[in-house]
Amino acid sequence: MAKRCVITGIGMVCALGNDVSQCWNNLVNGVSGIKDVKSVDTEGCYSHLGGEVDCYNLPAPQYDRSVRLCIKAADEAINDSKLSEEDLKKAGLMIGSCVGGAASIDKFYTGVLNGNEDNNDVFKMSASSIANNVACHFGMQGVTSNIVNACAAGTMTISHACNLIKENSADIFLAGGTDSFSSLAFAGFHALHALAEDSCSPFNHSNGITLGEGSAIVVVEEYEHAVKRGAKIYCEVIGSGVSSDAYHITAPHPQGEGQMSALSRAIKSAGIKNEEVEYINAHGTGTAKNDAAEFLSLHTLFDCGKPMVSSTKSMTGHCLGAAGAIEAAITIKALVENTAPPTIGYSDEDKEALKEKAGDIEFIANESVKKEMTTVMSNSFAFGGTNASIIFTKDGKEKNADTQEKKFCITGIGSLTSEANGEKSLYCDLAPEVFSSRGVKLGFYRKLDRFSQLEVLSGVDALKDADIAITAENASSIASLTGTCDGPMTEITSFQQVVCEKGSTAGSAFSFPNTVYNAAGGYLSIFTGIKGYCATAANGTQAGIQALCHACTELSAGTETACVVTGTDENSENITDIYSRMNLQTDYPLGEGSVSVVCETVESANSRGAKKYAEILGRASGHIAQDYKDSSVKEELLAVTIDKVLNNAGISANDIDLVYTTYKEKDLLSKKFENVTDVCQNTGDCRAASALMCVKMACESFSEGKGNVALCISAGNGGACSAVILKRSE
Amino acid sequence: MNRTEVCEQIKQMISENLRIPEDLLEYDADLFGEESDIALDSIDSMEIIAGVDELYGIDMTGVGKEHFRSIDTLADYVMSKAE
Repeated sequence: MAKRCVITGIGMVCALGNDVSQCWNNLVNGVSGIKDVKSVDTEGCYSHLGGEVDCYNLPAPQYDRSVRLCIKAADEAINDSKLSEEDLKKAGLMIGSCVGGAASIDKFYTGVLNGNEDNNDVFKMSASSIANNVACHFGMQGVTSNIVNACAAGTMTISHACNLIKENSADIFLAGGTDSFSSLAFAGFHALHALAEDSCSPFNHSNGITLGEGSAIVVVEEYEHAVKRGAKIYCEVIGSGVSSDAYHITAPHPQGEGQMSALSRAIKSAGIKNEEVEYINAHGTGTAKNDAAEFLSLHTLFDCGKPMVSSTKSMTGHCLGAAGAIEAAITIKALVENTAPPTIGYSDEDKEALKEKAGDIEFIANESVKKEMTTVMSNSFAFGGTNASIIFTKDGKEKNADTQEKKFCITGIGSLTSEANGEKSLYCDLAPEVFSSRGVKLGFYRKLDRFSQLEVLSGVDALKDADIAITAENASSIASLTGTCDGPMTEITSFQQVVCEKGSTAGSAFSFPNTVYNAAGGYLSIFTGIKGYCATAANGTQAGIQALCHACTELSAGTETACVVTGTDENSENITDIYSRMNLQTDYPLGEGSVSVVCETVESANSRGAKKYAEILGRASGHIAQDYKDSSVKEELLAVTIDKVLNNAGISANDIDLVYTTYKEKDLLSKKFENVTDVCQNTGDCRAASALMCVKMACESFSEGKGNVALCISAGNGGACSAVILKRSE
Repeated sequence: MNRTEVCEQIKQMISENLRIPEDLLEYDADLFGEESDIALDSIDSMEIIAGVDELYGIDMTGVGKEHFRSIDTLADYVMSKAE
């Protein structure tokens, strides 16, 4: 039987309240949390509204606000689920975020202007730090990941947690999302003229969004485990779907093609019919483009079933990376309370207009509706063209497992890295010829920040090397996954510096879309046409290998046959400055690069007669909670991860004849293994790109006739570590 | 203000803010449209509006798109408002 995943705890903090019950009371009564913004200077802006959290005693003041909000919500979820200390220690943690440590980035660069910057803030900038710090606070030792697909992130974490449970990675995950209110997002959406002047009015006036902040965490638990410990079960997660638009970096596909693909994937994986969905918590941002595309998607898929639909963003504001999680929590509450919360802000006239637009769908205006419900859905769509949908039910049934376990291999490699030459920081060559030789035109690549450019180049090379051309037929069967330590930190910090200096009206509309971590993956998808599952995960320096593990999990759960997996990190003056302030002990100068591999099911590779560099024998991520500031690699962490990956591969340590890792782990690994290679020696420290470089170099060794079984392993800041074992392909 | 100076300033602003090599930016080159080598879009036009505002304090929000056609037409608009 396939494993089933249930929700056994919920925690939430947003503009509507500091716990689930406060938020829910306001939601069912149609009370808005949107007020005049306090935390960001809105002088000169045409909008001054936002949904900020009003909580004077957020825990853990040493961390970024996003982490503190997340700890607040997680604490409630843990208590609600009555998790024992032992269960909590083993639990994994999946956090979604859009702007990461934006509040700390703002604070740091404001400090630079005033000559009183705090170097502690540089450790809080990257979204990579969130899950580690939350895990550290609770002493959690399970797998952690930060999924950073902008406004879809909070939905994707719950979906990924379920897929990890289904393949036995853990019995319990805390999953959700968090984002703080930020001048980054406010100035960015202001520059795009995407903010509403008054409170947002989704599916109504649709004249822009209102930003919010907050966090929601749900406890996702394996059904038998929950039953055995007598946990209260809210509902079951029966389906989810993620897709990529491959259309535009900020605008949704106007016909809702990608949205409908994600929703249909969720419905198919749930094994239900469209008309069984009784309530839909829509993305409903309130922008003209989103609402038009979403109206069309909902009518196309659901006119048959007449579901209730609402956008609770009209009360919470758009909480970006937390939105999907907050709305999933609201959707679960709606299901168990048999009450659909409304979209607020309709006048009598608006209600008449809505009737005409709504057709067979019951758009809930102003007042909540009580109705017995069994199956409900929450949808989230993001910049970069990521779409995510998740389905909850009270009426879960056992399903037969897909008995055939999938095996994976590497069929393509592309890479672009700096070359070590003794300088302090190292760069890739991104001259116009580098793009033109790959058919990437100026009109396309000039829009991309450095991080995105690196990713697109290596991704295109890997697909070409794998001899995969994206066509209308296979576009939805190809996925993409990006692992990064620092994401587009150059674009983020440059944008922020201008806003700190000149105010919230000075944000750049040109650069803002690139400040989301999944922009690079979005551009790769737009350029190549990839429309399957897509995710970007910010998980410190080891993120490149964890991305490969993540890809295997999703390929196992989904219908895709191959995934372009990329490890990317960029260098710049700002990033070199940030790293010099961290004062880390490093053997090499800071480099940059992007390494991509095509991870494909063996079945698919065989069916098209593809060359196979290596088969993936085993994969695992380990975690021993330590503060993200702590970049030391613990021997115990390596031992735990190696045990897990050997166990997953079904081999012993003696079978390993090659080891690829970075300079940080080399000495510790050399105590146990021979032939340990440090992949940074020729490239500098390229962080997530170096991690995936381990896989590239192992594949190349096999091609040169060297070795049969390789361990690729990398540990990152904050006690995260991932490993894969590759076997020479016969 | 001298018109040639205005053209040069707008050219530099577009080159820096929108990452376009200066040699593509002839004053009469079409900035928008699929056939144009430069092929700007609506987000780029917001950046031009912000840039013109920053350079000359002239707000081009809602101004007809014929004025955005090339560096020449942008400069003409700026000159007409500056007088």
